[in-house]
Amino acid sequence: MELIDLGNGTNKDAIFADFLHKIRERFELQHAAYAGLNPVNQTIHGFVTYSDDWKAHYARHGLDRIDPTLHKAGRSIAPVDWRRLSRDEHYQRVFRDAAEFGIAATGLTIPVRGPFGDTGLLSVTSEASQHEWELLRSKILSELQSVAVHLHDTVMRSDSLSRILRHPNLSKREIEILQWIAAGKSQHDIGTILSISHRTVEVHIKSAREKLCALTTAQAVARAIALGLIFPI
Amino acid sequence: MLVVVDALNKADFPGLLDEMFRLRARVFGDRLGWEVDIRNGREIDKFDALDPAYVIGLDDEGHVVSCVRALQTTGPHMLSDVFSAILDGEAPLRSATLWESTRFCVDTNRLDRGNGRNSVSYATCELMVGSLEYARNSGITDIVTVIDPVMDRVLKRSDNAPYGYVGKKTPMGKVPALAALLDCSDERINKVRAFAGIEGDVFADETVMARLMAAEAERRQAVASSYMQMGMLDNLVQYLNDQYDNAHSDEERMAVERLAAQLHVVTGMPETAMLAGRSIA
Repeated sequence: MELIDLGNGTNKDAIFADFLHKIRERFELQHAAYAGLNPVNQTIHGFVTYSDDWKAHYARHGLDRIDPTLHKAGRSIAPVDWRRLSRDEHYQRVFRDAAEFGIAATGLTIPVRGPFGDTGLLSVTSEASQHEWELLRSKILSELQSVAVHLHDTVMRSDSLSRILRHPNLSKREIEILQWIAAGKSQHDIGTILSISHRTVEVHIKSAREKLCALTTAQAVARAIALGLIFPI
Repeated sequence: MLVVVDALNKADFPGLLDEMFRLRARVFGDRLGWEVDIRNGREIDKFDALDPAYVIGLDDEGHVVSCVRALQTTGPHMLSDVFSAILDGEAPLRSATLWESTRFCVDTNRLDRGNGRNSVSYATCELMVGSLEYARNSGITDIVTVIDPVMDRVLKRSDNAPYGYVGKKTPMGKVPALAALLDCSDERINKVRAFAGIEGDVFADETVMARLMAAEAERRQAVASSYMQMGMLDNLVQYLNDQYDNAHSDEERMAVERLAAQLHVVTGMPETAMLAGRSIA
């Protein structure tokens, strides 16, 4: 999946909304929505693929104050399938209204916790049957988790103060491994060179990718070079 | 049998959580001698306030016999904070698909030494399987776990050897601690299952969960009503309020709030009702 590039974008909100549309297409979902809270500069961010009608209805009726996908899901560490919220006192109200606007009740919310008390929620809905949904969910969940953190980190870094605070903090091991990748070594080779298992190499690469706000290893290597963390070879 | 308790359902299981904190005090404070904070016989730290998820093992009588705690590595967790010495000043791993698991323990008093369902060995493996499966079902691919050398040997013996380590062995009280890596693959899960002879679903199903919830509610109700009959609850609440109003410092007021929290666990009476309108802002 393409990463979010704020480099030459003038309208960041449009770029984030566009990323949600890409999530929807890639994972065959009906809708995607993101809400994020940055306590450092006390900003709230929200982007959705929902229709303007639903957005207006949602705001007019103050559903954001009671929506369990916002208020409950964020306290979980695991993705919350919306069926788990059905016992919430406001579930019926929010989901009945949503159904009138054609939004499926089948969905989940991925809670993201950042390092500075920042939190994000990526919610997706699906029109699939229960059985198909369960298959889809287990197939996409890992990647969706990574995408959720990528989106959240990028949103949180989108102002200059937060960008300084969030300078990528890579370990020596992560930098060392990226340097070997830049030198053309495979994960397997690197494991042999460093006398660690190839899965240990992989977990460091994943971590380095995320710290560099990259979705692929190639992107991570490019960013590490740009930041002067490793040498181009 | 295992249950997952997190911020979404913890209000239904205050009794289980309380038993779990007491088990942790016995294991990490008394038996292992870790540098942990124990108050009123319960080991609770600041990470328990961050809405972690717990996988908790119960014996046939419904008593807590094992537990482990999970947190995301994208946000605050132990390796980025109190266990940072293990990483020797290096930044911790951070990944959307990596969870940190801490405070893994089993009750060696309540469990026996054999290989049956009520043995230390079975309960340990069941908890390993459950925590790996809970992570896997959440889209998590790997776990970093802070353990002592004894647990490291237990993992290796149970066909669940870590595939790697991060940082270095570092003293934590009487024993060293280390950070090990485990994948949440079906292959690993099946190996531990085969080793311990674990078949079928390790988690309580919806019916059992509902029964456990009902039992907790009933127990709270019984305690509350016996207190009520004796007129004790009113007296206790009056006492707490008097103590609060006559407190001389925030510390004293916090001590009253802690008492109220404990009374909430045994009676189910909301803390807000006990200390009506009183709170340290």
